Amino acid sequence: MAGVASSTRQRSRIAPYLMILPALAYLGVFYVVPFYSLFRTSLSTMGGSIYLPKLTFAWQWSNYGHALSEYRDQILRSFGYALAATVLCILLAFPLAYVIAFKAGRYKNLLLGLVILPFFVTFLIRTIAWKTILADNGLVVSALGSIGLLPSEGRLLSTGWAVIGGLTYNWIIFMILPLYVALEKIDPRMLEASRDLYGSNRRMFGKIILPLAMPGVLAGSLLVFIPAVGDFINADYLGSTRTTMIGNVIQKQFLVVKDYPVAAALSFVLMALILVGVLLYTRALGTEDLV
Amino acid sequence: MADIDPRVLARLASRRRFIGGGAAAAAAAILGPSFLAACSSDKSASGPSDAPKAPEDDGSPASGKLRISNWPLYMADGFVAAFQTATGLTVDYKEDFNDNEEWFAKNKEPLSRKQDIGADLVVPSEFMAARLAGLGWLNPISESRWTNRKNMRPDLLGSKVDPGRKFTAPYMSGMVGIAYNRAATGRDLTKVADMWDPAFKGKLSLLSDMRDGLGMFMMSQGGSPEDPTLPDVQKAVDIIKEQKDRGQIRRFTGNDYADDLAAGNIIVAQAYSGDVVQLQKDNPDLKFVIPETGSSTFVDTMVIPYTTQNQKAAEEWINYIYDRANYAKLIAATKYVPVLSDMTAELTKIDPELANNPLINPPKETLAKLKAWAPLTDEQTQEFNKAYAAVTGG
Repeated sequence: MAGVASSTRQRSRIAPYLMILPALAYLGVFYVVPFYSLFRTSLSTMGGSIYLPKLTFAWQWSNYGHALSEYRDQILRSFGYALAATVLCILLAFPLAYVIAFKAGRYKNLLLGLVILPFFVTFLIRTIAWKTILADNGLVVSALGSIGLLPSEGRLLSTGWAVIGGLTYNWIIFMILPLYVALEKIDPRMLEASRDLYGSNRRMFGKIILPLAMPGVLAGSLLVFIPAVGDFINADYLGSTRTTMIGNVIQKQFLVVKDYPVAAALSFVLMALILVGVLLYTRALGTEDLV
Repeated sequence: MADIDPRVLARLASRRRFIGGGAAAAAAAILGPSFLAACSSDKSASGPSDAPKAPEDDGSPASGKLRISNWPLYMADGFVAAFQTATGLTVDYKEDFNDNEEWFAKNKEPLSRKQDIGADLVVPSEFMAARLAGLGWLNPISESRWTNRKNMRPDLLGSKVDPGRKFTAPYMSGMVGIAYNRAATGRDLTKVADMWDPAFKGKLSLLSDMRDGLGMFMMSQGGSPEDPTLPDVQKAVDIIKEQKDRGQIRRFTGNDYADDLAAGNIIVAQAYSGDVVQLQKDNPDLKFVIPETGSSTFVDTMVIPYTTQNQKAAEEWINYIYDRANYAKLIAATKYVPVLSDMTAELTKIDPELANNPLINPPKETLAKLKAWAPLTDEQTQEFNKAYAAVTGG
């Protein structure tokens, strides 16, 4: 009997490891190995022909200097655009998630379905569809033009505004869903309690809803900001020659110029900057334990 | 969704520019220690090797199966069937050639080991064909089986890329020129400098492909893609940079300038002749001009990899295409510029409009203004790409 018990205990100790083994293996093969390989590439010199390149590992830190000095504008622009898109996502998604969570009643699932519905259409097509909406001869431009709200270029498409708009549109679902989940979890009795204590709507929002929604804001911000910084499709289709983002640079360095070391260095710079930004952000919101 | 032109979908994977193109190559470069190992150990592929010889030709007629790998939408309906009937050969025709670099990334390993790549004839662009020939990976095309070679345009026969056309048989060619919406510009454009008119500020697009983008500007500065030098390229890049900084250039594009042109976001575009023929159907105001100082042309070529399983059948196919009557059917479908000379009579038989369209059947004076890119060395390709990428955004 004792033997059976101890073997069960043993098994239960190993079981969690066995359960994460597939995920660990997956991460090892598809994350750690490429990560290491990319890191080596970023510190290599390139020789041979560009078609059959020969990368030699040489602690070539100048790749990073080159990447930072040459593409500073694009890096700053990417972070600026991504930040603007994230803030816009929060502003747009919060009221929507709030309504779905608290006011939608039996239409909750329908509304959630409607939020998700556009995302059945591929990312690329949805982005290109914006070209039709924002076209120079389109309704939106002429309407904004008649009330004098057009940017200095006199157009919307192929401006930084269109890129920010595209990023917001494409990633907003990743803000809505975590926000909804966070708001959904709020116990309605707390809101009742606040009303019973003569709390105003504003205080109820500031003291109860917002603090409890913070994990959703944080998760949503990360889910929006990180992919948005590295995005290149929106800048490619909705931007102009003066709105290139760091993703466009990396794409071009990898696929056209084929300067793999610099492209890899840029990828690392991007990763490092995102990591720093995310750490500062989580620290500032003080919600490390809530994600 | 209903408002999206179905052609947009087609163009996402359009043949001149494929957004994922080369992704495989880049992935291989990042991912593979095996790739790196393969590169460094692969001495045979890094330099031009001895001239390859075609397999012995016993003079017997071609038989068996021919496997062709071509670009999508690059064939006429019923053409393959007609070839099969005429020759008794079986053709396995695949439209799986999407991007030169992508194709190269996929096939260089087996080719360097001389292993079959599943195709007996492929249709890369000329620069890629030159690279393959330089690596010694192409079989020469037998002159005795390619009797219709005499129908080739003389300017192509004398090309620097493959003097005498021993390894490459041009398939289609096209022109890079200036497309403009006459109704919106209010005037005709004739030279490169016309694109810098302040009236077109933010309404102009240029091509992001290095060769197609720069050729015209090098020629306007006295250089030539036939004999490219870095200073010439840099001069062209500087001109483009100046205009970009002024806000004159709205976008650098692949084929997707077509949508902007149709929507009126762009009124002047550096464009491919074949695209403009299609766009003119919907918009008769659209004009296409080769600037006075000339422009560049591109050629896609049929080549036989040295791993071919049926050399004779591939030669038979090339010869069949080089028959003017057969070739006219292809032109009617693809709307590109013929690589055979004197096509007017055969095109007229199909549709007089084809023969009269200067974008499909350009007059000799236009052809004389076109120059094809010389084969570039690796260093040149890298330098030129780098120089242009510095302007096109990255």
